[in-house]
Amino acid sequence: MKAVILAAGEGMRLRPFTYSRPKPMLPIGNRPILEYIVDALVSNDIKDIIMVVGYKKEKIMSYFQDGARFDARISYAFQEKQIGTAHALIAAKHFLDDNFVVLAGDNLIDSRIVSDLLHNGRIPSILVTESDIPSKYGVVQLEGNKITSIVEKPEVMVGNIISTGVYLFNHEILNAIEIEMCAGALGITNAIQKMLGKQDIYAVKTDGKWIDVVYPWDIIKVNAMALSSEGQTISGVVEDNVMIKGPVVIGAGTRIRSGTYINGPVLIGEGCEIGPHVSIFPTTSIGNNVRIDPYTYVSNSVIMNNVCIGSHSHLSHTVIDEGVMIASSLSCVCGQAFAKIDDDFFKLDNIGAMIGEDTIIGSHVAIAPGTIVGAGCRISDGVRLSGNLENKCVVV
Amino acid sequence: MCGIVGYTGPREAIEILLDALKRLEYRGYDSAGLAVLENDIQIAKDRGEISQLEKSVPKLRGTVGIGHTRWATCGKPSKENAHPFLDCSGNFALVHNGIIENHRELRRELEAEGHLFTSETDTEVLVHLIEKYYDGNIEKAVRESLKRVKGTYAIAVIEKGSREIIAARKENPLVVGLGVGENFVASDVTALLNYTNKVIYVMDGEYAVISPIGVRLYDSSGNVISRTPSLVTWTIEDAQRGGFEHYMLKEIFEQPASIHNSLLGTLDGIEEGELLQNVNFDSVKIIGCGSSYHAAMVGKYIIESLAHIPVTLELSSEYRYSHGTRESPLVILISQSGETADTLAAAREARKRGCRTLAITNVVGSTITREVDEVFYTKAGPEIGVAATKSYITQLIALYLVGMRIGYVQRTLSHELLRSMKDQLRIMPRQVNAVLDNKEIVEEASDLLVNARNVFFIGRNINYPTMLEGALKLKEISYIHAEGYAAGELKHGPLALLDENTPVVASCIRDHTYEKMMSNISEVAARDSPVLAIGYEGDRDLMAIVDRFIGIPKVNPLFSPVPLTVVLQLLAYYTARKRGCPIDKPRNLAKSVTVE
Repeated sequence: MKAVILAAGEGMRLRPFTYSRPKPMLPIGNRPILEYIVDALVSNDIKDIIMVVGYKKEKIMSYFQDGARFDARISYAFQEKQIGTAHALIAAKHFLDDNFVVLAGDNLIDSRIVSDLLHNGRIPSILVTESDIPSKYGVVQLEGNKITSIVEKPEVMVGNIISTGVYLFNHEILNAIEIEMCAGALGITNAIQKMLGKQDIYAVKTDGKWIDVVYPWDIIKVNAMALSSEGQTISGVVEDNVMIKGPVVIGAGTRIRSGTYINGPVLIGEGCEIGPHVSIFPTTSIGNNVRIDPYTYVSNSVIMNNVCIGSHSHLSHTVIDEGVMIASSLSCVCGQAFAKIDDDFFKLDNIGAMIGEDTIIGSHVAIAPGTIVGAGCRISDGVRLSGNLENKCVVV
Repeated sequence: MCGIVGYTGPREAIEILLDALKRLEYRGYDSAGLAVLENDIQIAKDRGEISQLEKSVPKLRGTVGIGHTRWATCGKPSKENAHPFLDCSGNFALVHNGIIENHRELRRELEAEGHLFTSETDTEVLVHLIEKYYDGNIEKAVRESLKRVKGTYAIAVIEKGSREIIAARKENPLVVGLGVGENFVASDVTALLNYTNKVIYVMDGEYAVISPIGVRLYDSSGNVISRTPSLVTWTIEDAQRGGFEHYMLKEIFEQPASIHNSLLGTLDGIEEGELLQNVNFDSVKIIGCGSSYHAAMVGKYIIESLAHIPVTLELSSEYRYSHGTRESPLVILISQSGETADTLAAAREARKRGCRTLAITNVVGSTITREVDEVFYTKAGPEIGVAATKSYITQLIALYLVGMRIGYVQRTLSHELLRSMKDQLRIMPRQVNAVLDNKEIVEEASDLLVNARNVFFIGRNINYPTMLEGALKLKEISYIHAEGYAAGELKHGPLALLDENTPVVASCIRDHTYEKMMSNISEVAARDSPVLAIGYEGDRDLMAIVDRFIGIPKVNPLFSPVPLTVVLQLLAYYTARKRGCPIDKPRNLAKSVTVE
């Protein structure tokens, strides 16, 4: 059996973290979301994988290559303009024969998701789950195990069972979707809605892990769910007088200097230089080649690769993208905040700062809770920031 | 990583094995070998790439055989360490991809029982184990042997007097190809696509018995497994290039990851490592050929600026015939493959002259690593495109790291400065990433060069060698005559060649040569030559005086060669693509040059 992963989208609501990477490449627990999907497929013995790529496709292709590193065989289909999931699926048509699984490249899943779908085995079927915010998804209504209706992002509440965007299809269904797509239904959900009268479509319920990362602050929550809750794996060099408690992973080539206090779950990548006297609290991921200077406090945060954090900084409930350089004494305390993304307002109870890639921050900068700093910004010494900053802002 | 293949059927095995091995060359290419069975098992091995083996292999007859292409992990790349391996009796031959972790214990045990080993590899224990457990049933012998080993493997074994291949796997890929009256086995389906698209994937802990008429699959205890064959619907080329149009483009896009990997652990090594510990030298000489020589030239600026000691340069082919001077510098030799004949000779010459030697190479255990005192490995991984891209960039990264280390051991680099230099390296993958994100701008700018017959590349200071490398890339793959020049030398001759049909590519970043570069660019523009300039993003003064502009991130000038080189690689790539050139295999050129 083959699988198609739809990974062409950008993930605009996650900006600035999708400035130079597509959403499926967002690191959770120091691995891209897409890698969790590939792992879930491979552990169910589905190794022929077609990735439909588009936005920043090279990032995906040069990470996964031919798939050998993941014990899979990956080929790529291209969707240059991201106009809908049905359109993306058809882009992979020439790779497909027989039965196949379709998945969205930007949902974190475990292997249960795939095995539940396969064990049910009915074709065509849609994997469904319950959701607290059904209005963001395709909501399905059921009669027994058959789907009677599916509505994309309904404005009135019709139920809380949603489509996960994971499907088991065959070639016949692919042709039917293509016909509906040509008639204007560019999304798989719309195409299926149109097909419902003519064709039985089954729902498969799952209790497996299916997590959607929609907004920047979701990264912190999802990262916490992904970190292992037991065991320690310590590579690299840990100097004397370092306290390491709870589940902690430290990668090869990393040096933890004296007086550092690490309370897991904490994941630290390879080649980092941490300390002396740094405190890291749950649940935090730190990428590769990260430098953290003395007297810095990090708690419940995600710090990606190649980041330099100067001394005396305080980072709580904060996401820092790749290549950010912080001179010293950055303050990102967490607190209550209102955030606006597109036209939606959010009241967030515990949030720090969201800082985009390659931003350079001077010393003694204070960032208010809920602030989103764009990619490539330059923030001068002593600035106080709040609200949303566009990419490449210069703040003096 | 290594690659294995096997064939049994009516055809001459050798041709199929060689062809299949070539498809697996991306898995490694430091040595290769094959075993073909007629009456006896005959073995042919050689160092180097498959093409080397192809040249040296005698005409072996036989229709059953196995082959291997190696990327050394345990035991240096040499003819002795190349697979396949025979047992003492010559009854079995075996190829292996993976690592046997407990090979030392097993080897001691087998040697004590009288088995004779011919190599330093972990693999050889497997074939002797099979000999030990053989009591007339090869399957059982393989099963028993594999129970003894810890580690990972994909293996293929042939037995004298049998037309069957036994193949087994644990954590390394293995696939069986089904033909008509013939069957195949390989590490990767790409090796087989010329012959069949019907395959059976072997899973962890399983083994397959492959004969010309059929394939039987078993679990580790010997119970039969049935599995429906799968059909492969993609082509060879697509699979290996992972969606990219050319290997060169794939490798250009791998550079942020290559730089990132090069830094893992090595940044820490600047202060905590052992490289050049307690070594006395007061000058440095860097030696290389081709792109490696350009890296050496950049290295001169890096080391001089970080360590404040004089650095001289030599081409490998010239150094070996020069007369030794009285000084005894630290000699740094740069060779991607570690097999470049001229550079090897230069290494020997340097040792003879009593110099301390340090090699920078990409291939673990290559010849040069045995000819020098110390080795610094670049972490580019196998590079397939003939034009050096990621191997060059990782050479530069190696030179920054070595330069900082020299600065540290010579005590010329303060703690603060070293820290900020390390930060510059940490964000280097990001700078390259930013260049790659703007690939469309470079693609568009390449219009300026597509129809040119001659192009000049000019730069100053640390980016003078970068422009030489840019010119080399362009001529290698687009067949346009390109010359790199130090911008200040232009008026001493080449200015006479400039006219409206001769574009000039200029690097012009805001360092202490900026004003001089600007006036050189004006001189060129005054001769009507179209100018393509590469400078820091947003440089309006520069944009105003040139025809095309490509911006790179504002990095410390000492580190500007890295993003700049990536722009020049993309420029050469897009120019060649628009001209329809065979980018991955330019005429008359080979990947590593092992002739003098």
